[in-house]
Amino acid sequence: MVIDAERCVGCQACTVACKTENQSPYDAWYAPVVEWEAGEYPDATLNYLPTLCNHCEDAPCVTACPSGALKRRDDGIVMADEDVCIGSRACMAACPYGAIHFHDGRAAVSGGGPEPSVPERYAHQRHVAGAVSKCTYCAHRIDYGTENGLEVGVHPLATPACVVTCPAECRIFGDLDDPDSNVSRYLADKGPEQVLRPDAKTGPSTRYVGLP
Amino acid sequence: MSGRGASRPQNAFMDQFDLEPRTQRVWDLNHAVWFTLMGLGGGVFLAGRGLNLTDGLGSLLGVPTVDVVSFVAIAVGGVILVADLGRPLQFWRAFANVRTSWISWGAWSDLVFLTVAGLLVLPGLRLGDARPFEGLGWDPHGGDGAGLALEIAAGAAAVVVMTYAGAVLARPRSIPYWSSPAVPVQFFLSSSATSVAVVLALEVMAGVAVTAGQMVLLGLLATALAVAVVAHLLTGANVPGKRESLERLLRGRYRCVFVDVVLVAGTVAPALLGFVGAAAGGLRGALAVVCLVLLLPGGFLLRLITLRVGIFPPVHLPGGLAMKAAGARR
Repeated sequence: MVIDAERCVGCQACTVACKTENQSPYDAWYAPVVEWEAGEYPDATLNYLPTLCNHCEDAPCVTACPSGALKRRDDGIVMADEDVCIGSRACMAACPYGAIHFHDGRAAVSGGGPEPSVPERYAHQRHVAGAVSKCTYCAHRIDYGTENGLEVGVHPLATPACVVTCPAECRIFGDLDDPDSNVSRYLADKGPEQVLRPDAKTGPSTRYVGLP
Repeated sequence: MSGRGASRPQNAFMDQFDLEPRTQRVWDLNHAVWFTLMGLGGGVFLAGRGLNLTDGLGSLLGVPTVDVVSFVAIAVGGVILVADLGRPLQFWRAFANVRTSWISWGAWSDLVFLTVAGLLVLPGLRLGDARPFEGLGWDPHGGDGAGLALEIAAGAAAVVVMTYAGAVLARPRSIPYWSSPAVPVQFFLSSSATSVAVVLALEVMAGVAVTAGQMVLLGLLATALAVAVVAHLLTGANVPGKRESLERLLRGRYRCVFVDVVLVAGTVAPALLGFVGAAAGGLRGALAVVCLVLLLPGGFLLRLITLRVGIFPPVHLPGGLAMKAAGARR
């Protein structure tokens, strides 16, 4: 995924779309838009930074997880298997992005929202108390699209909910390994690409342009 | 934000929407307790065997007292560890990822230690007047080939037991204060010094004289711990995240506990007392007990405060703004 931070208007539509799509526990936000003030009056600005799991190539959460619940798929998406998770929370301590969330069972799962966008895939909305959950790049939608011949990152049902819903089109999803993909072309056009917490050396798959 | 206390997990609502350094809330008191108990358990076994004190300090059901203390500490630490898991009944899955996870290494080392050290002492086990496992044939004090082999295997597992908690913290780069070999070194040295003090206190209780060499060893371990702690404080002091941790340790809310209790009373004082005890023959027993009284809470607080000053730097640093925000929030 590529995020053009300059285009973000801070509407938090992605945050809410993610929550609706994944029915995450109340206190877990997989895709928050971080905001902060910069400068001083009269030159003060309000800045926004859309965040989510960085699906790192060298994912520290996968390394730290004792049970093997966290795994990186062949397509690079880092998944948390809540049925295998034992709740050690080692992944949460290891993740530099705060992208992993512990469901302590006290906070009720959202629920009561609209039907899942991809009805065949609803398992991702079932969260296990005592386990961790995280952004999956809406893997259920990617899989649905792949299985049904839809172009990933282009067709709305084969694209993460946060990307589809962004009114400013600041999130672009596709295959970073394909030089002709929409994300690669966007990076080539708008680069240079940046990552969050470069000191952590995790090789994030979520890339940024236009970071303030 | 809800105010459920410091043990509240990391995903407290508003934290995620601020570009600020965030204190980790993943691990807290329970982890500090089991870190301490595991270190103590492995260390007491090593100290008892290393100082050749399994015999003469008493026994329980034929098992040397030092080994009993070691087993109990590790067993209780293990129970706390498992109870703190989100899904304790799934604890057996912790053994799965030995390829990369230090927690898996720790789970295996706990199991191997308890199994091998348990086997080692089994021939000496006394139930009433009977020694049902005497026929196993090896010396529970490691005096023959098989006994020595078991002792070495258990000792190696004990070293991992003492070290892995620190390694769990040190391996990822997410929290700069933790991301240093100094953390497992500190934990290991703290466990070693405290364990030697425990064994010396058992000597005192058994009426055995504490030797000058034992006090020097205690002094050296506590000195090494002080050096490791200070070296860690002086390294990378301006790295975002670590800077805020040091601020809390040396000037902020933990200054008194860290500097006065952990560093001065819990590390430097036992080091001095160890060397003083080596010279002052008549006071050795009393000084060894005083060292234990200082080292044990010092070691526990070292671990607890290390956990509590674990700070994630902001995911992005736009021109030092996040640091200003940190100052406002401290």
